[in-house]
Amino acid sequence: MISDGVEDEEKWLAAGIAGLQQNAFYMHRSLDSNNLKDALKYSAQMLSELRTSKLSPHKYYDLYMRAFDELRKLEIFFMEETKRGCSIIDLYELVQHAGNILPRLYLLCTVGSVYIKSKEAPAKDILKDLVEMCRGIQHPLRGLFLRSYLSQVSRDKLPDIGSEYEGDADTVNDAVEFVLQNFTEMNKLWVRMQHQGPARDKEKREKERSELRDLVGKNLHILSQVEGVDLDMYKDIVLPRVLEQVVNCKDEIAQFYLMECIIQVFPDEYHLQTLDVLLGACPQLQPSVDIKTVLSQLMERLSNYAASSAEVLPEFLQVEAFSKLSKAIGKVIEAQVDMPTVGVVTLYSALLTFTLHVHPDRLDYADLVLGACVKKLSGKGKIEDNKATKQIVALLSAPLEKYNDIVTTLKLSNYSHVMEYLDGETIKVMAMVIVQSITKNKTQISTADNVEALFELIRGLIKDLDGSLTDEVDEDDFKEEQSSVARLIQMLYNDDPDEMFKIICTVKKHILTGGIKRLPFTVPALVFSSLKLVRQLQGQEENPFGDETATTPKKIFQLLTQTIEILSSVPAPELAFRLYLQCAEAANDCDLEPVAYELFTQAYILYEEEISDSKAQVTALHLIIGTLQKMHVFGVENRDTLTHKATGYSAKLLKKPDQCRAVYACSHLFWLDDHDNMKDGERVMLCLKRALRIANAAQQMSNATRGSTGPVSLFIEILNKYLYFFEKGNPQITVATIQGLIELITTEMQSDTTTPDSSADAFFASTLRYIEFQKQKGGAVGEKYEPIKV
Amino acid sequence: MPSRRRTLLKVIILGDSGVGKTSLMNQYVNKKFSNQYKATIGADFLTKEVQFEDRLFTLQIWDTAGQERFQSLGVAFYRGADCCVLVYDVNSMKSFDSLNNWREEFLIQASPSDPENFPFVVLGNKVDVDGGNSRVVSEKKARAWCASKGNIPYFETSAKEGINVEEAFQCIAKNALKSGEEEEIYLPDTIDVAGNNQPRSSGCDC
Repeated sequence: MISDGVEDEEKWLAAGIAGLQQNAFYMHRSLDSNNLKDALKYSAQMLSELRTSKLSPHKYYDLYMRAFDELRKLEIFFMEETKRGCSIIDLYELVQHAGNILPRLYLLCTVGSVYIKSKEAPAKDILKDLVEMCRGIQHPLRGLFLRSYLSQVSRDKLPDIGSEYEGDADTVNDAVEFVLQNFTEMNKLWVRMQHQGPARDKEKREKERSELRDLVGKNLHILSQVEGVDLDMYKDIVLPRVLEQVVNCKDEIAQFYLMECIIQVFPDEYHLQTLDVLLGACPQLQPSVDIKTVLSQLMERLSNYAASSAEVLPEFLQVEAFSKLSKAIGKVIEAQVDMPTVGVVTLYSALLTFTLHVHPDRLDYADLVLGACVKKLSGKGKIEDNKATKQIVALLSAPLEKYNDIVTTLKLSNYSHVMEYLDGETIKVMAMVIVQSITKNKTQISTADNVEALFELIRGLIKDLDGSLTDEVDEDDFKEEQSSVARLIQMLYNDDPDEMFKIICTVKKHILTGGIKRLPFTVPALVFSSLKLVRQLQGQEENPFGDETATTPKKIFQLLTQTIEILSSVPAPELAFRLYLQCAEAANDCDLEPVAYELFTQAYILYEEEISDSKAQVTALHLIIGTLQKMHVFGVENRDTLTHKATGYSAKLLKKPDQCRAVYACSHLFWLDDHDNMKDGERVMLCLKRALRIANAAQQMSNATRGSTGPVSLFIEILNKYLYFFEKGNPQITVATIQGLIELITTEMQSDTTTPDSSADAFFASTLRYIEFQKQKGGAVGEKYEPIKV
Repeated sequence: MPSRRRTLLKVIILGDSGVGKTSLMNQYVNKKFSNQYKATIGADFLTKEVQFEDRLFTLQIWDTAGQERFQSLGVAFYRGADCCVLVYDVNSMKSFDSLNNWREEFLIQASPSDPENFPFVVLGNKVDVDGGNSRVVSEKKARAWCASKGNIPYFETSAKEGINVEEAFQCIAKNALKSGEEEEIYLPDTIDVAGNNQPRSSGCDC
């Protein structure tokens, strides 16, 4: 009959609680009436509920805790009894009359606690007696709880150093001996559980054992809290005895758990000083024990300890912790041939973190760890296990986090070798980690060699990797990635132009492999980074020593042209166009006329051949005009060619208003304020007249179509240009020309065919106000404006 | 009811791993402190006699494992608690953020009769560390949280230097005593006149 369902268990627990409460009730009554005999009787009956075999550890614990609370009251009663003159020795005898052994032993432990407190006998003797008597319970679950009770009630009565129970006869050795003995017995009970009952219940049994483990482990916690357990005692007695039990029990669950406990409950200093012993026990454990987790936890703990204060580092050196751990790991990996990759990497990752914290100055150690890891990974191909790749990312991130400096990490020759075992996706993840580390820490990467190594590491972001079919990359993620790369490119810097040039060449080499999706992000970054170098060199004499290899603006421009040209493969004509103009401006500042001319030509070619959208054309043309206006490097001939073309383009724009605006903008190409030899009033006037003609034509067209507004404001815009050049002293612009245009506009605005346009009205009004204002200014300006009638 | 019941006050200390629960208890009960970190396994209590308004009480202080993996048997020992002490490390935001979870978990598991008014006390420990320079949780922030949870008394402590530990436990004892948590009053279904009560367990005879 198998009916161990959860419901049944609830029922049994409820019945147990009811029985317990009923007897507790009578026990209370007996306590209140100071009836010792009844108190013992009911408490024994109450404790009989703990004799059940039907409850799981969790439920049993519930029942146990209730009994435990009741026993505290009984304990207080015993204490009061002894104060009333009852002999504690008699009490100790008396409770042993209880009929059943389990209640008897609970009562004995309770009285024992009072007995020790009374100090009528040495604590050592009582403890020894109790721990021996508990052998009477061999049922694992009941025995474990009974002994746990013993350890709890004796917890504050151990003859520890400085304790009131310490005496000539009672020493800390007795305290430790007592706890160790209880621990050993408990562990035996716990291990024995594994071998009881039918094999098919193995899973359930292991679950129950796992629930009970803390009862056993708590003894180790108590040992760690014993004041008298100093390093010597730990080294000579505690650790060897505990490990002896751990090794000899030959039980996988117990060994793993107890190793974990040892590592967690005893202090770091103790572990460091007993590393040999602790690590020596590892190979003696059952082969199925998860030693890698045990060792990782040990290393993690020690790493945190090392990180906590520089003062403790000498302790690590003194015991040669690194080499001991390193050897132990090697042995474990060698012994466990079937250890999965994730296990191997976890171990090396923990060791790496350890050495980074303990020996931050020993890069060779870190490299050694990475090298050992590579050796283990080799021959296994790309790692596909998700957990393992996560561990590798952790492994590779550790040096970055420690040094906050990729340059230091680049010195680890095995670093890139480890990356070779990653799949494409993870290489990308790792590359992002690296780039983010650089951006966050503003790391200066200032040599071409480092840049080369770095780009090799982050190649997952730089190009499509073989095999990683870019399936469904999220657009936004991709943009963010490539923007990070762009930022990174801008951060690479060296004061020395030659080295900087080398860096630029290196970057160029790598980004060229990026493919058409990446180029629009990376090329501009490289162009601007190169222009920074141009600006730095600008003003210096071009190649003063005739050194062929020297970095000169000319050389950089060559490279720039090549770089921008690459964009044609994308194609990204508008971007390339803008970059050409940017470069042209820089060439102008360097007084490199042929270079600037060539760049402009390239921009013009793109304009003519590639930019076909009318809106894009308008924008591009204004960029041309704006840039060209600033150029002073061109001789008459070149300049004429370029301006001629620009005005030509203007007249060819699709829409009349666009044509008009572009043409009047061109007027500025013939009038440069700071250059007296570039003030051609006649051609300015030609442009403006042409603009007027176009505006007229536009007006006629719009009259034909009715309703469309705009042309009037074109006239006003041209009027403003007139005023500008009038003020600048262009002799072609006379009072009469201005007066004529004002009249034209006034008539236009009053004409019936024109649709009212408030913004044009306002624009015109404020233009007239301006004229009025200039008049009132007086002086030369006022005189100039005076004749204009508004 | 006789007074025996109320002489024992049960206090549970909760908080993340490494915030100093064991150290606070050791400092209060034994006046000792160790800088070394030692994990606690399971639950473990120490007792201390306290005098309050001319009466002697036994404070039963339960120290608990902050690491979940060392709490394999569950939390049946929460039952019957008279006060719950929530500890965090003022140098760790995470430990402060966890207070809410610890509080809620306690209320669920211990299910006190009046959860709204169950006495908690919050301790911000390790105020001594680095002369207070590494502190990340301000007193203001902590007090605001305590206020929002029904004016929980708050103390800033250092188990290492013994700062405020005595005061905090005084307050803890006072609140435990005031706690409305009466023990569930049990009355047997049938009054057994003969006083002959057979144990009903069915375990083996050991």
